[in-house]
Amino acid sequence: MDALGLLRPAASVSGLPAAHVPHAASGFALGDHAGRAPAAPAEGPGVVASASSGPLQRRFEPYQNNGGTVLAVAGKDFCVVASDTRLGLGYSIPSRKVSRILKMTDKVVLASSGMQADMMTLHKTLRMRLVKYQQNHQKDMSLTAASQMLSNMLYTRRFFPYYTFNVLGGIDEKGEGWAYGYDAIGSHEKVSAVCSGTGQTLIQPVLDNQIEFKQQWGAPKVDLSLEATVELIRDAFTSAGERDIYTGDYVEICKITKDGVEVEEFQLKFD
Amino acid sequence: MGESDYSFSLTTFSPSGKLVQIEYALNAVAAGATSLGIKAKNGIVLATEKRLPSPLMDESTIDKVTSITGNIGMVYAGMGPDSRVLLKKARNYAQSYYRVYKESIPVSQLVRQVASVMQEFTQSGGVRPFGVSLLVAGFDEEGPHLYQVDPSGSYFAWKASAIGKNMVNGKTFLEKRYSDDMELEDAIHTALLTIKEGFEGQVTENNIEVGIVSDDLKFKKLTPAEVKDYLSEVE
Repeated sequence: MDALGLLRPAASVSGLPAAHVPHAASGFALGDHAGRAPAAPAEGPGVVASASSGPLQRRFEPYQNNGGTVLAVAGKDFCVVASDTRLGLGYSIPSRKVSRILKMTDKVVLASSGMQADMMTLHKTLRMRLVKYQQNHQKDMSLTAASQMLSNMLYTRRFFPYYTFNVLGGIDEKGEGWAYGYDAIGSHEKVSAVCSGTGQTLIQPVLDNQIEFKQQWGAPKVDLSLEATVELIRDAFTSAGERDIYTGDYVEICKITKDGVEVEEFQLKFD
Repeated sequence: MGESDYSFSLTTFSPSGKLVQIEYALNAVAAGATSLGIKAKNGIVLATEKRLPSPLMDESTIDKVTSITGNIGMVYAGMGPDSRVLLKKARNYAQSYYRVYKESIPVSQLVRQVASVMQEFTQSGGVRPFGVSLLVAGFDEEGPHLYQVDPSGSYFAWKASAIGKNMVNGKTFLEKRYSDDMELEDAIHTALLTIKEGFEGQVTENNIEVGIVSDDLKFKKLTPAEVKDYLSEVE
């Protein structure tokens, strides 16, 4: 999912020292610190000089990382998709309550972290496609169809990606719960539990251990109930909120069962 | 026909509200060899005459009944080359659909798309309508389907239909013989009888083609040997 390291959110977007980001072969460099000349000169429009030569030119940086963490955990016949609601920008918080979640159908929910603008556009475009599908097919899109379509949509922007890190969760045609994790250009994988965003490295290991029973030997693998899953997710967000500055404020939790989607919310620390 | 004054351009309506080129296309279809389709409870059968201009032709290489996807097939009446163009477009569209949704295309969606293409060719510059009517048969999640698509781009769902030279008599015959609780086996027999009704000469396993798709979701053409067996049952 995170195979393209160059698309990992680099905290350099505004003001913080840039981590080393390898340059994309196509000529644009993500996370390029504004104003500082790139390491390899003459790469595409607007990127000018090395440190030794003449005037510096400020590039238009199309991407921003607004932070946030999203996750999806699937059970036997349910799925829970959750995300925090903090909108971050550098060391500031432009908003404590933005929604990263799109309820696609009664059985499928998408959550996206990354850049808010791209997330909103992606969600709008998806909504249009969902309506068209519904009108043509006289029924809602299935989880499998939605997962493939999202992958396709992301890949059509292969050379100017949506800066979004998506997780899709829901119930398939057979009534089983499944989750999908995506990278920015549409590579996806069907799993039981996945998370994405600035808290990914903090939460994913916990999900691997507690849901998939990885790195546990001898412990019996049990299916968690919906309530147990929600408890785990609350704890995960609370913990991530402590260590990740971009995760906090509120958490939106969507519980998907055969009866539809139920949303609950709880508060994290505002710091 | 004063109508012919308005037949020079496809995009011109005649005073009676017709697009004359489409009428002529339908004539081309009506001159073609008869094809028919019958929808049963558990499957659909398509059948057609393989009317060849000369006994020297190698009829085993002729393919009028063709599959579009694993579970959808079609037959035509009219101009063979036009049908091949539509077949290619239909096959491509079905695969693009799978590429996007990772699900097999529903029959109604495929038919809608093919019909849309045929309609485009009645409203674009420098092209002519397709000189074929298609019968598309498919078995999907919603069950068995049989659709007819005309050169104008209109499409209809049928329980049973015939197109081409003998369509009027064929449809009359089918009306009498059709019943809603037909099984696929009955439908195949009825299809063969209907073909025989309008056939000039003797029907053999080499001068007709039969295709079926049942609830196993696999469209297939019957081999000449299988057709021969069914024919003998129908004697």
